[in-house]
Amino acid sequence: MTRILLKNKLDDCIAAWRSAGFSVLAPVRRSDLSRFDEVERSADMALDLVLTERTIKDHFFPQTEPLVKYRIKKHDIDSQEMLPPDRKRVFFGVRPCDASGLAIDDPLFGWDYRDEYWFKRRDNAVIVTIACTASDDFCMCTSVNLAPDSTKGSDVILRPLQNGNGWLVEALSDRGNALLEPIASILQEGSESPAPSASVPVRFDVEKVMEWLADPASFESHFWKDISVRCIGCGSCTFLCPTCHCFDIQDEGDTYTGIRRKNWDSCSFPMFTMHTSGHNPRNTQSTRWRQRIMHKFNYYRGKFGVNSCSGCGRCTRQCPVDMGITETLQAITNLPK
Amino acid sequence: MSEPFEPKIVAFVCTYCTYAGADLAGTSRMKYASNVRMVRLPCTGRISPMFILKALQKGADGVLVSGCHPGDCHFAQGNYHARRRWTVFRALLAFTGIPEQRIRFSWISAAEGAKFADLINTLTEDIRKLGPFDQYHELQKVIETQATY
Amino acid sequence: MGIQEQYISEAAGLLSSGAVKLVIGYSEGSTTDRRRPVFVRTPAEAERLMLDGACVANLSTYLLSEGLLSDGKSVAVFLKPDGIRSINILAAEAQLNPEQLVIFGFDIQNGQARPLQGRKISDFTPIVEAARAAGLSPELQGEAERLEHISAAERFEYWKEQFSKCIKCYACRQVCPMCYCRRCIVDVNQPQWVNTSSHTLGNFEWNIVRAFHLAGRCVACGGCDRSCPVNIPLRLINHRMAKEVLDAFDYYAGESTDQKPVLATFRPDDPETFIL
Repeated sequence: MTRILLKNKLDDCIAAWRSAGFSVLAPVRRSDLSRFDEVERSADMALDLVLTERTIKDHFFPQTEPLVKYRIKKHDIDSQEMLPPDRKRVFFGVRPCDASGLAIDDPLFGWDYRDEYWFKRRDNAVIVTIACTASDDFCMCTSVNLAPDSTKGSDVILRPLQNGNGWLVEALSDRGNALLEPIASILQEGSESPAPSASVPVRFDVEKVMEWLADPASFESHFWKDISVRCIGCGSCTFLCPTCHCFDIQDEGDTYTGIRRKNWDSCSFPMFTMHTSGHNPRNTQSTRWRQRIMHKFNYYRGKFGVNSCSGCGRCTRQCPVDMGITETLQAITNLPK
Repeated sequence: MSEPFEPKIVAFVCTYCTYAGADLAGTSRMKYASNVRMVRLPCTGRISPMFILKALQKGADGVLVSGCHPGDCHFAQGNYHARRRWTVFRALLAFTGIPEQRIRFSWISAAEGAKFADLINTLTEDIRKLGPFDQYHELQKVIETQATY
Repeated sequence: MGIQEQYISEAAGLLSSGAVKLVIGYSEGSTTDRRRPVFVRTPAEAERLMLDGACVANLSTYLLSEGLLSDGKSVAVFLKPDGIRSINILAAEAQLNPEQLVIFGFDIQNGQARPLQGRKISDFTPIVEAARAAGLSPELQGEAERLEHISAAERFEYWKEQFSKCIKCYACRQVCPMCYCRRCIVDVNQPQWVNTSSHTLGNFEWNIVRAFHLAGRCVACGGCDRSCPVNIPLRLINHRMAKEVLDAFDYYAGESTDQKPVLATFRPDDPETFIL
């Protein structure tokens, strides 16, 4: 016997969670864009999307966030840390790729020191993932050892029912179990079957890719120039990626007061590796593209044991010139031995 | 009794005409509102739209940009270029909803001390009636609090 | 022979004779309805070229790629009238030598690609004149009108909502042929005129600055609008600027290779309705 959440009970569910002190965030369509935002009713949710255009990364690593407020005085500096508030949040309707993105980034934000700005938000969030029964031409989770019903990074997984009336509910962690307590009376026992998972064809051979990237001779290959010639160097792919995490620290203010901020940065920007001397070790788009692929499927793996890619496909979906990771990794897969 | 709202107005003026005109107002002991903060440039041709944006960002409720009359520019052509720039920039600001009444442009010559004083007084009252530029300054306040996420 | 076959054959011919070293065109994308820019260097590769009603991107952006035209050799490029205007502007602003270009001109009407006569930039003057006569982006009139007729406060709310979505990815800047500054104003930090942070105020400033720098230079190719990953209607702002320079200065960008930039010139009798 498994537990089921019916769609027509979703409003009760939201109400119960809100009473328990959680804000509920779900996919919404607002101002011509789909993203995660706070909802009060299930009618505001857009659960019919394959996935949202923006990721849930935004809610843990915002595009801009204040770190410290400072005032420079005559003999010292007043500073005030601006940590995020303790706000309990439920993320409802996350896709497995987005959830796994959080788990992929955790080791980085806890690497040489613990980034409290990330973890305060992480520790106060519960991820309720809905497994995918639909995909599109850009999804590639199955190519990076994930799946449309992957549980990585999730606290609760919901599997859509065959009859379309709701979801099978499974808690995956202590946090997930704790979240189900306020709605225990709303959930029902049942033996309905889940709908079949989305079918996502494997688009490239990630093992072969990693092997080729690890080969020192590949670094200087002409392949990089050929594959990246149409890249225009915008930050779309990096900013919409659930796992990309590069940032820039900027001070905004006047001579004596200001706020130090952490802002998204992109390795595809020409200025990303510009030195104060004027030297830029990555001053061509091909070297920047190479860096992106190497980082995700070689360096990150070397440091943290996992590829920095969740297979969501947004890089290709959104790319103004139809590039993205898939094409490059397919090309590497197809390179003659 | 609450204090009346005192608008903060920034004026970007050229050295040879408007600034000289303001000087004349001063030496003639003309009284005018003290709300204006003057920024002196060599010529209106030097005034970039960036200056106007920066003034708004830093809390100005109104901006005045003023220079020599067409044909009288100390550098011959600066104000002609400025005029084209202002036409375009003004349309842009209006289109994005920044009220046209807050960003004003004028020609004030070195002899027009009275015009300068009158204009500052009128502008100050106009902006006082419009009130603080809350719409824009709210955005700045948001920056200084927690991240929206 | 359809336009695609005709142009492929001609492109292959130019490559094998050495008349051009590169052809920049369109090829199949990652899905059937997508087209992607392609760089063809051999006659055999020319078979990858495609030309149909889905080929909408303005490829003139690529002509300013670092070092592409510095060897003095010729390059062929597929361009619609908007791209042809882009070449005129880039030539007028001394960013490239149009003599190095062979232009495969085409237009899209009723979803079909149609060839345009001519291969040199000067051949297309009548096309640009016709584009001007047809009016500025008639398809935007409705949306643009609606914005003009609401109050300033409502307009501000509208743009505040749109710009709050902006993530400063700079796709709009990178895809635009007119945004070629080696160091964009947002990347200048001495002084920092425009906040680089992607809060609503910083986004407002960025989008205003970019629109201003494109006034009288934008050709309404729609690249910025299409490439924006968060669907901000950038076409509306650039359209408003194009309308302003047309109404105030009778200026239409991209008419010829020696047309003077609108903000670098003036007439002593330029309009001044708002100056006190």
